[in-house]
Amino acid sequence: MSKPTDDCHVVEGKLALPYQYFAGRTGSRFLISLRDKKKIMGVRCEKCDKVFVPPRQTCERCFSDISDNWVELGNKGTVTGYTIIRYEEPHQPIKPPYIMAQITLDGADTPITHIVKGMPLSKMKTGTRVKAIFAKKTTSSIRDIEYFRPSDDKPAFELGYTYDELEVGMSASFTKTVSESDVYLFAGISGDFNPMHLNEEFAKLTPFGTRIAHGALPQSLIAPVLGMKLPGLGTVIPEITVRFRKPTYFGDTITATGEVVEKIEKRRWVRMELRWTNQKDELVAEGSCLAIPPVPLGK
Amino acid sequence: MKQRVAVCAVAQIKNEPDIWYQRFQGMVLECFESIVAQTGVTFDMEKGIRNVVTCSDDVFDARTISDNAITDVVGAHFRGEEKSCQDGANALGYAMASILSGHDDVILIAGHCKESQPESRRMCTNLAFDPFYSRPLGLDYLSAAGFQARAYARKAGITEEHLARVVARSRVNAARNPFARKNEPVTEAEVMQSPLICDPIRYLHQYPVTDWAVAMLLCSEERAHEFTDKPVWLTGFGNCMDSYFLGDRDLSVSMALQKASRRAYSMSGVDDPGTAFDIIELNDAYAYQLPMWAENAGLVKEGEAAKWIDSGGMDRRNVNLSGGMVNGNPIMLGGLARALEVVLQLRGEAGERQAEKAERGLAHGSTGAAGQHHAVLVFEK
Repeated sequence: MSKPTDDCHVVEGKLALPYQYFAGRTGSRFLISLRDKKKIMGVRCEKCDKVFVPPRQTCERCFSDISDNWVELGNKGTVTGYTIIRYEEPHQPIKPPYIMAQITLDGADTPITHIVKGMPLSKMKTGTRVKAIFAKKTTSSIRDIEYFRPSDDKPAFELGYTYDELEVGMSASFTKTVSESDVYLFAGISGDFNPMHLNEEFAKLTPFGTRIAHGALPQSLIAPVLGMKLPGLGTVIPEITVRFRKPTYFGDTITATGEVVEKIEKRRWVRMELRWTNQKDELVAEGSCLAIPPVPLGK
Repeated sequence: MKQRVAVCAVAQIKNEPDIWYQRFQGMVLECFESIVAQTGVTFDMEKGIRNVVTCSDDVFDARTISDNAITDVVGAHFRGEEKSCQDGANALGYAMASILSGHDDVILIAGHCKESQPESRRMCTNLAFDPFYSRPLGLDYLSAAGFQARAYARKAGITEEHLARVVARSRVNAARNPFARKNEPVTEAEVMQSPLICDPIRYLHQYPVTDWAVAMLLCSEERAHEFTDKPVWLTGFGNCMDSYFLGDRDLSVSMALQKASRRAYSMSGVDDPGTAFDIIELNDAYAYQLPMWAENAGLVKEGEAAKWIDSGGMDRRNVNLSGGMVNGNPIMLGGLARALEVVLQLRGEAGERQAEKAERGLAHGSTGAAGQHHAVLVFEK
């Protein structure tokens, strides 16, 4: 018995047509500027007070000829809409998943669509600031902008807490185990080859009965606190005083802690109390310092 | 007195995921033969069909002038033929214009699309974008809808739950429509758990790949009695094209649908679209579109779509009793599928899903990226 699907043959086919699309004079100018100057251009309709990108010759609202009203746009912009492409298709320029966003470039009123990379997919939200990353090799197309990536608009260098951000009671610490090699390196750095630090037989004769670290070695562990944490990057320490309470033996784990105790309004400095403790919670050293917190760079 | 055009007969095949064993010509032929059987219409140059409007998409058919593949099947040789390459709702608009202008009085409409034949329907819609600024980035109708889904849902307060309700309900309705694509029923939880494919669009939020064909016969009011005892009157049509660039539009609203629907209402004398329709068929290719189109067509007050869904508005207003586009109709034919359902309902031929009172209905069609183009039709008993 014959079935409806008997004698059913499917012919494989493919539509493919090499083609040259003339971009138009307005489009040409946009693409050439993107390719040769890495500049993104829009056109302004004076009557509608609107900057359009991609550019067009005529405003579709008021029919004004706007083809000569070129405006250079920023290569940064704000995401006004987005979707995350999770399905894979041959016509996609990169492998999913990736973010497609509508990006209103600085100086434009209409967003363009483009790819955003360089941030976790789940972190994308409208309002994200992004900047254009230009392709290394031109294709004379919109993909001369290869993609956009987040631009946090923060300075290139991060800074620690400014004077105004610091409060009495803020504290931070750093912990490290002091090893034999630390002591030998420190001897080399300081030139202090005192056998108390380097010669076990000699050290046995001292009140400590074994080698101890140079006092300045645990002391130096406050530097990462002050310079990198509190107040942090950009801090200057004009004065530091230390009183040593207990020796640091090889293998001791030292915690250096700094705490803001006073804000000196007149100079915009802070005074900090410093403490060094070991793994037994014994006080190894204590002291204080003055700290000049970072001020915004270039000011 | 308002002008009207008669829909004398409608015919369709079942919506299927992959009719690989039949050419679209064969699919259309079944519909065409049904129209002839229902109406007795001929190709007599005095009294029969002198004009045919077809609807198809060149890229989905992978040949340009795609109507050329179908003109012999629908009897369009040796007479007038015109193709609508927008959503098929516009083919009804062409036919209406042709009849009301007096250019002709009997028009056959035939549409076909096999979404199963291209390797990927999204590759096809990628080609709908300009080759300079959009196509190279991989934009297609799904990614464009992704932008719009987020923009609209945020503005309208549409949640995952609302979208799940649209999809689950569509499957329930479609199960009562013998011509609807046969899909497994899904629960709202299953919809919400289906994978994200184009955030916030989930796999089950999109209409599935579908093959289908449809035909209709329209004629002037004077001649309707020659072909049917139960004419349904097409009394209003409006369409509108939005801006092309997605960035030129506020994707959270559809200005084009607002304009298209108001034109159709004004032509048909509909004063209050909030109460005028007993049957409403909206072209919801993606779940978010059902509330969005309802709002922008003025069927629901602006900003109240979420509340409307919560309070059972879709059932109360008989929206998409066919199952809707999201259950499965091919691209380009969504509007014709909507119109066909409205006609069946107004004729009282909708079987199990027949609405009690069905005197005036709205059918909507849409094509383009994120609903760039809309067409709205008003039918009356």
